[in-house]
Amino acid sequence: MNAVEVLGLRRHFPSSSRGGRGTPRTALDGIDLTVGIGEVHALLGPNGAGKTTLCKILATVLVPDAGTARVLGHDVVTELAAVRPLIGCVFGGDRGLYGRLSARRNLLYWGALYGVPGRELRGRAAGLLERFGLTGHADERVETFSRGMKQRLHLARGLMHDPRVLLLDEPTTGMDPVSARDFRTLIGELRGEGRSVLLTTHDMAEAETVCDRATLIDGGRILHTATPRQLGALLSRHERIEATGVPARLADALRARPDVTSVHDGADGTTTLIEVTDREALAPVLRLLIDAGVTELATARPGLEEVYLRLIGDRGMEVVR
Amino acid sequence: MNTRPRPEALTLLRHGSAIAVADLAAVYTWRTWLFGWLVRMLSQVVFFTLIGRLTGGDERFLVTGNALMVCAVEATMVVASSAWERSLGTLPLLVAAPARLAWTFVVRSLQWVISGTATSLVALFALGPVFGLRWTAGSACAAVPLVLLTSLGTYCVGLALAAFVADRPGLRNVVSNVAYLGMMAVCGVQVPVHYWPPPVRAVAQALPLTHELDALRGVLDGAPPVHVLLQALLGAVTGAGWLAVAVLGFGWVARRGRRTGAIEFGT
Amino acid sequence: MNAFRAGLGLQAALLRRSPGDLHILATVPLYTLILLAMTDAPHRPGLAPDAIIAPTLMALWSTALFTAGDLIDRDRYNGTLEPTVAAPAGLAQVVAGRISAVTATGLLAFAEAWAVGRCFGVHLTVRHPLPLVLGILATSLTTACTAAVIAALLVLTRGGRPYQNSLSFPLYLLSGIVVPIGELPHWLHPVSRLVYLSWSADLLRSAFRAGPPRDLPVQLLALGLLAAAGLACAGVLLRRVLARVRVLGTLGHA
Repeated sequence: MNAVEVLGLRRHFPSSSRGGRGTPRTALDGIDLTVGIGEVHALLGPNGAGKTTLCKILATVLVPDAGTARVLGHDVVTELAAVRPLIGCVFGGDRGLYGRLSARRNLLYWGALYGVPGRELRGRAAGLLERFGLTGHADERVETFSRGMKQRLHLARGLMHDPRVLLLDEPTTGMDPVSARDFRTLIGELRGEGRSVLLTTHDMAEAETVCDRATLIDGGRILHTATPRQLGALLSRHERIEATGVPARLADALRARPDVTSVHDGADGTTTLIEVTDREALAPVLRLLIDAGVTELATARPGLEEVYLRLIGDRGMEVVR
Repeated sequence: MNTRPRPEALTLLRHGSAIAVADLAAVYTWRTWLFGWLVRMLSQVVFFTLIGRLTGGDERFLVTGNALMVCAVEATMVVASSAWERSLGTLPLLVAAPARLAWTFVVRSLQWVISGTATSLVALFALGPVFGLRWTAGSACAAVPLVLLTSLGTYCVGLALAAFVADRPGLRNVVSNVAYLGMMAVCGVQVPVHYWPPPVRAVAQALPLTHELDALRGVLDGAPPVHVLLQALLGAVTGAGWLAVAVLGFGWVARRGRRTGAIEFGT
Repeated sequence: MNAFRAGLGLQAALLRRSPGDLHILATVPLYTLILLAMTDAPHRPGLAPDAIIAPTLMALWSTALFTAGDLIDRDRYNGTLEPTVAAPAGLAQVVAGRISAVTATGLLAFAEAWAVGRCFGVHLTVRHPLPLVLGILATSLTTACTAAVIAALLVLTRGGRPYQNSLSFPLYLLSGIVVPIGELPHWLHPVSRLVYLSWSADLLRSAFRAGPPRDLPVQLLALGLLAAAGLACAGVLLRRVLARVRVLGTLGHA
């Protein structure tokens, strides 16, 4: 049994134009995904990729159009009563808390909603407040909290009922670097406790450091699932040369070669980026450059970030709808 | 396998009402309640009661109706405060929790019942005598549960409406205002129910305020206790009916939201 | 003038997009119905003008209090106040434009109340058209000026908001919009006369009465003076709003 098992999941939304006419937007287009027990799995993708839609379906607040999703063997559409207590749901930002209540009161309320027995509520809330460094502010109104404190409280809230599976939807949105580092430590602890975590993010560094496996998702489709290292290796055959002062005629000649995938200008305008098909192609290309008098040269392998950009495509700030 | 019991109702009530109390404390301090809210509501009672002086109407009838109306006004604020869950971003978390969505909404706005009952009682006991109400120990004791029943019954009407505007939070003020003014018009507050044509009277019979007001006037006019009890009971039954509608309504909200994706996550 | 027009256009667009802000207009037919029933207008035509004028004035005052009164505060909440202040256009003109749009929608209440009266079988006869037109104009102007005072006060005072809601019925009562001021205790009469609604109610009612509107000049003068006082007050308060934004960089104490 897996913590999360998703098979052929589809979901579309009616067009947001007036009256719902126009083409419907496909948020999930046949997703297959498994998260093993005790695994930390990152779901990577740009805004609008379908990450939150998947989280919503797993959290039982959205039903899919087709396909199945199971949490620890229970179907998220038909077995609500079984699924809901198993899942802890946390999303980033500072919404989703009662600002007029104290941190402790918030935890007690959510614990009660999850059926934590009355005698255990207080102890559990105190323990989590301690764990997230909020004991000193336990009885202050949440609306007076900083964003980072609210996010820590959000995590505590998600753990109040001791869930076995955690859905963390962009949990580090707007976190400062120190909080983000603490957050990564926390993920390690959760894994140590045997919990399974599905984490959505568009932060590569975060995915690279905390997760066991990462799935790249875009336009509602899965592009690739692998360990961060495997993903990095995926494109390592695409070796890259950065050179300064490449004559235009040589650049054209390189473009014509079958072992060169692309030649384009670097961001600073003086360097040229040359990508070759594999390691073997490096030597002849380097020789040509040196023969043409180009001496400022460097070779590089793509990092995970580049894999991401390569697979997702560089569409800048555009959000797919 | 998870064998955790369904959330215990009492625990839920205890911790959920903390939200209600916190909201009440955030909306009012004792000073703003006394000099702001109470003065406004008492002015409303006097405003409508004095119209009786203009038309030669029965001031006792009017002051009783309008004093009880005050708690109905406040109880329908549940329509607005239920919409706060959406703006707080807590709605998806409530839907994802194992507790039934309707009960979380039933519990979270109880502050209006408390405040409304207090306001109505002040209006009845302090303003009533100015316009001719004569209280005895017995009638005063009977008035308290009747006011509470009116608050609770109207609160249930408001909850049902809140469920149906859950997806249109922009309409919350329209709906709550129209709801309480509609009740003020047809439930016998300003003019007797029989003033209106039969279809309107039928609507009035479905509203708790109509019956509780009838019971309260019965208490003040020395009507037979059976009549008073019967009307109070009818009010309670209609209130329970509205509660059932509210529970079904919130179930529908959750199901519909899950289908359409209207329950937004996060920021 | 451009700033005024921009404010007017902005507010009209905002009102079109959020019908919830116009909830006061939804209450007008019900208040009219209640007052017509209470005064039994079909059988007692003498009180019918009161039952139709009162909901209109209530709606105008409510829009001034809630919709217009919230203008600046809502801008502060949305973070749009600072950029508005930073723009070269005068804040006062923008606010005036926006308040005018809100007040204009408040005037729809008159048509609503009139229509409900017709459905109820009440036919009002305008005996003196000039006082009616002047009354509506003067009332709108004074409403707008008063709304500007409220809008500025609500951003300047921390403790004002909880009392915003309580300025409705106490003022209806004081201003005698249904029950004449004469029914109130004598010591309250001077206070009532400070509320512009009391002059508006008298003026508008006189347009439907048989006798000549003898008090018209006094009523218009009173409304004009109250409008001028409101305008002056709003001017001073708005300058303080501006000063506070510029000195503290923000008004954010919400």
